[in-house]
Amino acid sequence: MTRRAVLTLTGLLIFVIGLLPVLSMLVQSLHSDGHWSLGAYRGLLASARQWTLMEHSLVLAALVTALTLLLGVPLGLLLGKTDLPGRRLLTGLFVVPLLLPPYVLAVSWADLLGPEGLLARIAGPDAVQAPTHWLFGLPGCVLVLGSVFLPIPMLLTMVFLRTVDPRLEEAARLMAPWPQVLRGITLPLILPGIALAAVLVFLLSLGEFSVPTFLRYDVFPVESFVQFSAFYDFQAATAAAVPLAGITLILLLLEGAFLRERTGQLRLTGPGRGWPRIALGARRTGWVAVAGFLASVLVLVPMGALAVQSADAGAYEEALHRAGDSLVRSLVYASIGATTLTVLGFLAGYLVHTRALPFWRSVDSVTLFLFALPSTVIGIGLISLWNTPWTNLVYATPAIIVLGYLAKYTVLTSRISATQLGLIPPSMEEAAQVAGAGWTRRMAWIVAPLAGRGLAAAWLVGYLFSLRDTGITMLVYPPGHETLPVRIFTLMANGSPQLIAALCLIMVAASVVPLGLLALVPRLGRRLQRI
Amino acid sequence: MKPWLSILALAIALVASVFLWQKAHQPAGQTVVVYVSEDQVFSEPILEDFERETGIRVQAVYDTEEAKSTGAMNRLIAEKDNPQADVYWANEPIRAEVLKQKGISAAYVSPNAADIPPIFRDPEGYWTGFSARARVFIVHDSVKSPPQGVRDYTDPRWKGRAVIANPLFGTTTSEIAALFTVWGDDQGRAFLEGLRRNEVAISSSNGESADFVAAGRYAFSLVDSDDAVNRMRQGKPVSMVYPDQAPGGLGTFIVPNAAVLIRGAPHPDAARKLMDYLLSPETERKLARADCAQIPLHPGVAGPPELKPMDQIRVMQVRYADVAQKLVEIQPLLRRWLGL
Repeated sequence: MTRRAVLTLTGLLIFVIGLLPVLSMLVQSLHSDGHWSLGAYRGLLASARQWTLMEHSLVLAALVTALTLLLGVPLGLLLGKTDLPGRRLLTGLFVVPLLLPPYVLAVSWADLLGPEGLLARIAGPDAVQAPTHWLFGLPGCVLVLGSVFLPIPMLLTMVFLRTVDPRLEEAARLMAPWPQVLRGITLPLILPGIALAAVLVFLLSLGEFSVPTFLRYDVFPVESFVQFSAFYDFQAATAAAVPLAGITLILLLLEGAFLRERTGQLRLTGPGRGWPRIALGARRTGWVAVAGFLASVLVLVPMGALAVQSADAGAYEEALHRAGDSLVRSLVYASIGATTLTVLGFLAGYLVHTRALPFWRSVDSVTLFLFALPSTVIGIGLISLWNTPWTNLVYATPAIIVLGYLAKYTVLTSRISATQLGLIPPSMEEAAQVAGAGWTRRMAWIVAPLAGRGLAAAWLVGYLFSLRDTGITMLVYPPGHETLPVRIFTLMANGSPQLIAALCLIMVAASVVPLGLLALVPRLGRRLQRI
Repeated sequence: MKPWLSILALAIALVASVFLWQKAHQPAGQTVVVYVSEDQVFSEPILEDFERETGIRVQAVYDTEEAKSTGAMNRLIAEKDNPQADVYWANEPIRAEVLKQKGISAAYVSPNAADIPPIFRDPEGYWTGFSARARVFIVHDSVKSPPQGVRDYTDPRWKGRAVIANPLFGTTTSEIAALFTVWGDDQGRAFLEGLRRNEVAISSSNGESADFVAAGRYAFSLVDSDDAVNRMRQGKPVSMVYPDQAPGGLGTFIVPNAAVLIRGAPHPDAARKLMDYLLSPETERKLARADCAQIPLHPGVAGPPELKPMDQIRVMQVRYADVAQKLVEIQPLLRRWLGL
């Protein structure tokens, strides 16, 4: 009874926090002057510019997906399946861009290749004309978003490699060399993971607006943001967001139909003694050089450009003066967000893992849908739902920011929890049940402690994604409560490049330091790596 | 303790921590909430000075460049029935007029605004201008005979050599609307057609236009005076021309900031104090010295060295209320003109 009530409440919360704002926005877009109207949608379909913008978005998302798969899957194999030296360090390096607001990387590339950038200072303004032209446009967007989302196929490849039964590979190895085994056995078995990565990267690129805006490449989500912010046309903004929601829904339905059984909850094996790893032998140095070069180009060079750009005596002092309070707020809100995400995600993950109620699949689908939905859509939805005199307790306080985090990122903590719960033998909970323990006691004293390390990993992931959030926070933050990513974004208008670079590096430190601390807790680190 | 009580306690603790955090950051004294469309890098130091000098805590929401400097105003519209802000610091008066027309602002005549020229004030006190930008030509140094008026955009001599920011946004849309009010609709449309015929390029912002001219890609562009001053201070090969200054000429379009009191402001007393502060000669002096290089409207306040004082500029004579009305009216035309 208690279990049913708590899990029903969990589903209800996800509906109210995440789906209700989106539905409220949808209803408002169909309502004009007290009547139902499709005017906003007709206007959208009639505009040639919208079709062009959608084409831009689709091309960008497709190119980013192709690039990340081409690089991410081989990297995942290299780092997750071979005995490459320094693979943990390299994995950590490649993951850094995913932990940052995407525009930070765009700023760093502009600091390197822009008209006022490092290259211009070294080689003169003529030398950067071509790279600047190249950076500010589609190729630059593909490069930056490719770097940001590369870890998704890389990590999913690494995780799915551990779902492959080692006996199959061992049997194949009796007959064929590793390259053939990878092609014939391993890759087909991890194909659902690669397909999931492709869907996620495609949707995240499709919904991303901060990088295309900074690099002056007009895409569809920017239109929705501008309709809301520049014209205050709520209906047009919603109508402009609906096609993105539609594409998201269609892709996730396809994912649900073909992949969900293979990707929703993983049964992990290895790596342990006897888990087959490819010995690179004499080619190890060459592969280290290749991976190191890629990490340098995609991560170290842009971060280095930020460091050089910010190497001004007063830059960090001014950055802390201007944004010190925003930094503290970011850390506090991200911590609260991570804690609430962990609690909600754990309960949602339990529901998905146990399939205890008939709507478990809806909860999983809705959270994934909200994650893939553009932030502007969720932000506008939150405003339309909560901006009333009766709900000021939420709308006028940081609670609205935390609700945004919950709406967007619950799927991450939910899926981590579900996977972790899959590693706990059901007999443990059953034994406690036979001994007479009620559901809440079993959850509190058996399940949660056994899932403790997974919950810690979920908290960390929740923290990192809450900390980097820009899209939702920028639309809903109450006066005086801006976070660091938002402050960087608003200071970009006429702020000095040194100041912006220093702020970006402070943001990098705020994201990476918790991971460094994690490395001090080896068992937790290993658990996160397994998950 | 029962486990469910632990969970409940945790939930209560989390909610309490949010409120405690909120409370901890609410000052013991007065607070004022201001929405700001002026760039944060220039407006924030002014608001910090106000905090320091009055002890009133300022809570601000700043615009982003991507919102084309209208995000804060639109948030004000969204919050009309549930106002969160006390004051709006607009970076131009047109949208302050729109707020007046939508019943979102309240009248307040600051004693500090007495010597600000009437053209830059709403006669009923719904907004008051201060610290202005002029709409000027930024011209590349290679140009021997610079353009002298906005109609030069349509002169075949400049075919394919001029650029202008997207007229759907910001001060460019205001200037186009101002030209429509001065010339009338027919001449306004003819001007837009002339721009198309003369292959005038469209950039995404005034800043980008200024960069294009500084890089020599185009001969000239209409931009805000701070964009031009900024490039000149960077040592770029550009100069500045005030358009239409000949006797009897159209005059240069001036874009002052505007301070607006919000109707139903939660903190009206603090709001009026902030309005007085923004409209003081001292604020204008600071904004003139800052990188935004804005022209003071109070007589006798020293302006940026690169710019003429307001009394030496031939100002385009417009009523900003008419410009605001025209701006809404010509939006569909502008969208069609841009092929949207």
